This record gives sequence, structure tokens and C-alpha cells, in this order.
Amino acid sequence: MLSAQQLQITFNPGTPIEMRALRGLSLDIPAGQFVTVIGSNGAGKSTFLNAISGDQSVDAGRIEIDGADVTREPVWARASRVARVFQDPMAGTCEDLTIEENMALAQQRGTRRGLAHAVKGAQRELFRERLATLGLGLESRLSDRIGLLSGGQRQAVSLLMAALQPSRILLLDEHTAALDPRTADFVLQLTARIVAEAKLTTMMVTHSMRQALDVGERTVMLHQGQVVLDVSGEERRRMDVPDLLAMFERVRGEKLSDDALLLG
Amino acid sequence: MSMSKNTKRVSLAKLGALALATAFAAPGWAQSAQKSVAVATIVEHPALDAVRDGIQAALKQAGYEAGKNLRWQFQSAQGNTGTAAQIVRKFVGDQPDVIITIATPTSQAAVAATKSVPVLFSAVTDPVAAKLVPNWEASGSNVSGVSDLLALDKQMDLLRQVVPGAKRVGMVYNPGEANSVVVVKQLQTLLPKLGMTLVEAAAPRSVDVGSAARSLIGKVDVIYTNTDNNVVSAYESLVKVGNESKIPLIASDTDSVKRGAIAALGINYKDLGEQTGRMAVRILKGEKPGAIKPELSSKLELYVNPGAAQKQGVTLSEALIKSAAQVVR
Amino acid sequence: MSIFSLFGALEIGLIFSLVALGVYISFRVLRFPDLTVDGSFPLGGAVCAVLISHGTSPYLASLAAMAAGALAGLLTAWLHVRLRIMDLLASILVMIALYSINLRVMGGPNVPLITEPTLFTLLQPPGLAEHIGRPLLLLAIVIVAKLAMDWFFGTERGLAIRATGSNARMARAQGINTGAMVLLGMAISNALVALAGALFAQTQGGADISMGIGTIVIGLAAVIVGESMLPTRRLVVATLAVVLGAIVYRFFIALALNSEFIGLKAQDLNLVTALLVAVALVIPQLRRRLARRPN
Repeated sequence: MLSAQQLQITFNPGTPIEMRALRGLSLDIPAGQFVTVIGSNGAGKSTFLNAISGDQSVDAGRIEIDGADVTREPVWARASRVARVFQDPMAGTCEDLTIEENMALAQQRGTRRGLAHAVKGAQRELFRERLATLGLGLESRLSDRIGLLSGGQRQAVSLLMAALQPSRILLLDEHTAALDPRTADFVLQLTARIVAEAKLTTMMVTHSMRQALDVGERTVMLHQGQVVLDVSGEERRRMDVPDLLAMFERVRGEKLSDDALLLG
Repeated sequence: MSMSKNTKRVSLAKLGALALATAFAAPGWAQSAQKSVAVATIVEHPALDAVRDGIQAALKQAGYEAGKNLRWQFQSAQGNTGTAAQIVRKFVGDQPDVIITIATPTSQAAVAATKSVPVLFSAVTDPVAAKLVPNWEASGSNVSGVSDLLALDKQMDLLRQVVPGAKRVGMVYNPGEANSVVVVKQLQTLLPKLGMTLVEAAAPRSVDVGSAARSLIGKVDVIYTNTDNNVVSAYESLVKVGNESKIPLIASDTDSVKRGAIAALGINYKDLGEQTGRMAVRILKGEKPGAIKPELSSKLELYVNPGAAQKQGVTLSEALIKSAAQVVR
Repeated sequence: MSIFSLFGALEIGLIFSLVALGVYISFRVLRFPDLTVDGSFPLGGAVCAVLISHGTSPYLASLAAMAAGALAGLLTAWLHVRLRIMDLLASILVMIALYSINLRVMGGPNVPLITEPTLFTLLQPPGLAEHIGRPLLLLAIVIVAKLAMDWFFGTERGLAIRATGSNARMARAQGINTGAMVLLGMAISNALVALAGALFAQTQGGADISMGIGTIVIGLAAVIVGESMLPTRRLVVATLAVVLGAIVYRFFIALALNSEFIGLKAQDLNLVTALLVAVALVIPQLRRRLARRPN
């Protein structure tokens, strides 16, 4: 489904602040798999995600989604294949537009937008149905501006929006990081449910090793712009955070020193 | 002192109503048996102000005095054509005995706004090109007026008297002003016949006049200007360039000679205003504008400024100075 | 104030409400500070006047004016989207260029339209005075324009434009080509402004190069006054608000013109207008504060 091959990205090349974010990163994700991605700061997680969504262009390498080469496609052209939930709840929705308008935008992703009415009766029903599954009472607030919702509510709606249109791959960019623990938990549960229901191929970047192991079927660890760990199946089920750490040290010959990663 | 919020709300409303009522209750015009004259200009500057003063003077001479037996109204659109449109509409609504409009955009707005109220244009160089009147005969419509069109051959005669042997004539003007473009076009045909060439310098805003003049340094023997609104507003910047670079300045209106031009065979704009005022008096006395032929300015005066001539590197002949209507010292 | 003044304010106000609608699209919907309008307003007037004076029907001439305005808007947007020139700067560049272009189009600074047929002479209802017929026709045009705008921004395409202005990054993530949406929005905005210019030329006896000066100020004043009178987040109400704002603003100017009886002179016009508008902006605030204060 997703095939990233030898991706290279260097920021500010040839200057004193040159930063080689991705150094030949390769990753294949088969259809329907739920992968979590972790790594310390500067490991390249966000850069990798941005490369796949199109927000960041690659210097070298190839990105294929469902067999199609999307390496050169801009964000909006890739959007029919890629759905994304941002870390910042503000960034992922249009504050001034209503809940139903935001959802309509998501539903029209990948389609040719014409002069038909943006929010029709049948759609509203669908939106109400989906919103009801959140249990937050939002189904009766369709014409409220989405800016009135809390961060957690907005992320929840963003998840629904991501699942409205069949997309090839769902990208989750530390989407619970800006929420308080209880809400983060709620959103995480919601994520698992939605992904399972729609059988979405999903890549979730997270800063928390705990989260990385608890959710999904496969965990990939990035370090200095490359994949250094890739665990799935039985091996992964038996692992806990210290095991992951030990594995890292073995592979890299160095201790992992990112506190946030360790404590998360 | 604390008022309940209801009282405050009521007072605000009362105030608003009072303001509106006053505006609407402002003394209406059509009722009175007084004669009324409404004058509109697009912008104010010395020449156009002189026109207005001339109109008032002529009316006074004929016995119509503002405040006594004449309703007089003057509005300036401050350069904004939207405002000019509203001024013109207000005037038409006031139904004065005559509307006098100064400059082309104001006149066009008035002519488009009414076919019945008498309209006199003033200080419009080519009223036929501006379609205010179909030709220079009596129009039969509600429009007539006084044009400030100058016979350019006489202007060039003066120019050659002041600067004999001049070959290159520079002109600073606003390409956005109809009156000036008319003059430029005429000079483009006339000058080659006299063995001279025209060098143009555009000044779209009055602040551009100085730099336009400087662009002519070394390229011209003399600078001629008409009563372009921008140029007249900023004539001092032209004088600065003329004095510093020794380029003689010839103007078209006599006021500019006082401000530093060497000479002008010009329309005294106050006289133009008076001529317009006299036409207005005929209307007040019952004549229809459609029966009055549009007039050219009847009086040309020669003003000279020997001091300016000296600064700009030219000596005026005694004969020329003697023939001048006024010598500015 | 005479009925003429009142209808005059209404007439000019309706023309500038089209400008206000256009400015609303660029400034509020797209968040694109667009000064092109100082050039596209006279461009519309110029194109329309030149075509009519050469015998073209006023209907076609007015449509052509809209097309010209759309081109101007497209140019500004293209400079920003493709050449990455800052939005405000791009609009200033096009506005400046349009001054020369307009002079070229008109062949001079002024094109009179006094004896020629205009939309207003063609559609004047017989028996009705001209000074009432014109505002009536303009009202019909403005109503059509407003409703068309409301409808359009409720469509999928229109929603995409609104999303572009609200959160371009999110819009792109939803598959919207934000660059194309900016181009489209700016074209529509300036087409409306150019239409206003064409209508203005047809009521004012011609197009003049100076007719564009201050258009953006009037447009913004109308939007701000309107929003202050009718604060809302809903587009349908906002379009009504800016239309009303334009009319009220011109009404204030008419009030200022009629205040010579309190000793104000011609030169004070701008000052009086500014004071009246300031009052208009403050009163709603005062009302809100009064409403909030406990008794």
C-alpha cells in the first residue's frame, strides 16, 4: 500500500546549520496495517510524515501509494489517497466554518468540487450518524462554528473527517500530544475503533513508547533519519518499554537518552 | 450620576432622531422666491477658486448678493468622483435656478444627472470633446458655459518672443486630465509646423510635478504649461527647477506669473469666473442656457515677471514689458 | 435633505455596495489584502465607456467590463500564487499598472457617455422619474449579485474558496488546490468591482481616470460599517451587512453635504464624514456595553 524507498531530505544544505533529516529511509506498509512510529526529537518522524503527505518535498527517493508514484505530487493532489490528522487541533479544521461544513470539506476530498450545494440533506444525516458515535452530543450542533469546540472534540471530529472518504492511507501526527491525558485516551480509543471499522492503512507517529506498543500491530523506530527497529507480530506482543529500549541499545550500540521518549 | 440603562438608551435614540430631523428639516430651497445658484468643483486650487470668486463678483455686480437676495451654495468634491456624483444629485434635488460646474468630471456628472435644471460649465477646455455640448453653437439643451480654451498659436508667439530661437518645448502635465491632454494633442500638431518639437513629461499626481520637470533638464529650451490642475497646485516645484537649471517657464494663467513664471498670455481665471457669472445672470433673468452659445474666454492678458526672467536666464525686451497688462516685481 | 439627495445617496451607495461585496470576498473570505480595486473600478468604467461609445450594446459592454475586472484580479492573484510576491504588494503593482492601462483603454483621461444609450436609459421604467428609476435598477442588480454570491459560497467550489481563506493548509489536506481557489476568488471579487465601475460610468456621464481614487477606502469603510451594524459569522448575513454599510456610508456623506446650515464649509466635508462614520462605529459598541452592564 505504502512504499517509501530511500528517502533523503536535507535542510539548509551546505550551510553551518545543515541538517540531514532523512538519510535513505525505506519503509513498506501493506494494506490494512496499523503502524506506530516512534523516535527521539530530530529522528525524522515528522519529516517522514510530511514527506508522505506532500507537505515536504524529498531530495531523493520514491514514494508509492497503492502502486502510484506520488513523489512529485503536491499536497492537494495526493489528498485523495492520503488522509491526515494534525497534532494541532486548530490546524486540522477551519475555525470559521461550521462542523457540517468542515465535514463536507472532508467528504469532498478527492472529488471534483463543482457547483452542487456543499451540504445537502442526505449528507447531514450521515454526519449526524457519525457524530453520534462519539457520544459527545455534537450531532445536534452541526451548524455551530467548529472554533467553539474544545481541542479534544476537534480532534475527534478530525478523525471522523479522515474516515469519511475512503483513503489509501491515514496519517496521524502525534494527534493526542496536545490533549490532556483523559481526552488523549478517549481520542486514542476512538482512533483504534475507527481504524478497525474502516480497515484503514494507518501510520501513527507518537512520542510515547507506551502508546506505540499499545496501539496497532507494528512498531517502527526511527533514529537519525533511518529505520532502526521494526517489530511486529508475536515478538511485539511480548515486548514492553524496557525491552524496546534494550533492543535499541543493541542495535545502535548506544544508550537512548531522550527523556521524553523514555518517560512517555 | 447614574442613569438607568434604559434612560441612557432612550437618550441615545433621541439624539439620533434629533440629528436626523435636523438634517431633513434643513431649510429647503425650492420654496423660496429667492434666486439660487449652486456651484460645484472637483477640487480646489488657486485658479479654480478664482473662478468661483469671479462668479460671485459678477453676480454681486448685477445685484445678486449671497445672504441678501441670493441663495449661494458651493461644494468641492475633494478630488473624489463619487462625492462629485452625490454633490451633483443634491444640487439637482435643490432645484436651483442654475448649477455651475467647474472642471470636466463635475460638468459631465451634472449634464448626465439632469436635462431640465440649467447647467453652466466653467473652466472646461474642450466641452465638445467632453460631450457637454454638441458643438460651439447654441445647444438647445439645458447646457452652456465658458471654456478656457486658448488659441495656442498666440501662446507659441509669446513663447518665441520670450525665448527666441527655442526649438524644444517641454510640457509638464497630468495625462489623466482631459483639459491638458487636449492641449498636448494640439501642440503635437502645431509645433512641427513652427519648426519646433514637443517634449512631454507626465505628472499623474501633483507631487510628481517636480520630478517631471527635472526629467526635462537638458532636453528642452523652455517649459510651457497649461492650467493643468496638478501643475497649478504644485507650481512652486516647477519654479524651483526653472530657477535652478535656468529653464524659462511660460504659463497659461496669470496667477502663475506671480508665483514665478516669466510670462503668461493668460486667462485671468477671476475674469473667466466673471464671464461665467454674467452668463449666469442672464439665466437668472430668464434666458435659457440652450439659447446661449458656449463662449471662449474673452479677455487675454499678458503678465510678465522680469525678476523671474533674470533667474531663469532670459532678458525680456522692453517692448514686451511695455505691452504687458501687468508687470510683476 | 431633499429626496434627490436621499435617492442620490442610495444610488451611489448601491453602486459601491458591489464594491463592498467584492472587497468582502478578497479581504474577509480570502484574507487577501487587495488594492487592485483602485484600478479595477476605473478599468470597468473605461472598458464599458469605450465599448458603448463605439456602438456596443450596454449589456455586452457591462459584461465585458466584468471580464476585464476578472482579468485584473487574476493577474494579482497569479503574481502572488505563482511568483510568490506578497499579496498586498502584488495588488499594488497591478493597481499602478492599471493606471497606464486605463489611459490606454480610454485613449485619454476621459470618455464621455452623455448621449449614448446606457443600461439605465434602456431599462428606465416609463413614467417613473429618472432619479428613482436608477436606484431601482441598481437595487435589482445588487440583489441579484448578493443572492448569487450567497448561493455560490454555499456550493462545493465556494466552500473550497472559504476554506482556502480560513485555513489554507487544512484546505490542501482536503484536496483543495488552494492556488486555483485564490485565482478564482480574486477574479470574482474584481469582476464585481469592475461591474460597479461600469455602472458608475453609465450614471455619471462617462469614465474618468480619476474615478478609481479611494475605492478601496470606500469599500473597506462599507465593510467595516456594515459589520459593526450587523455583526455575524454567517456569510448570508454578512453580505447583507456590507451592502447596507455602503449605503449608510454614502448616506453619511449626504448628511455631511447638507450641513452647511451649521456653518460647515465645503472643505470640511471629509472631516464631517469621518466623524459621522466614527460615531456609527462607536454606537453599536456603546449599546453592547450598556446591555452588558448590570443595572
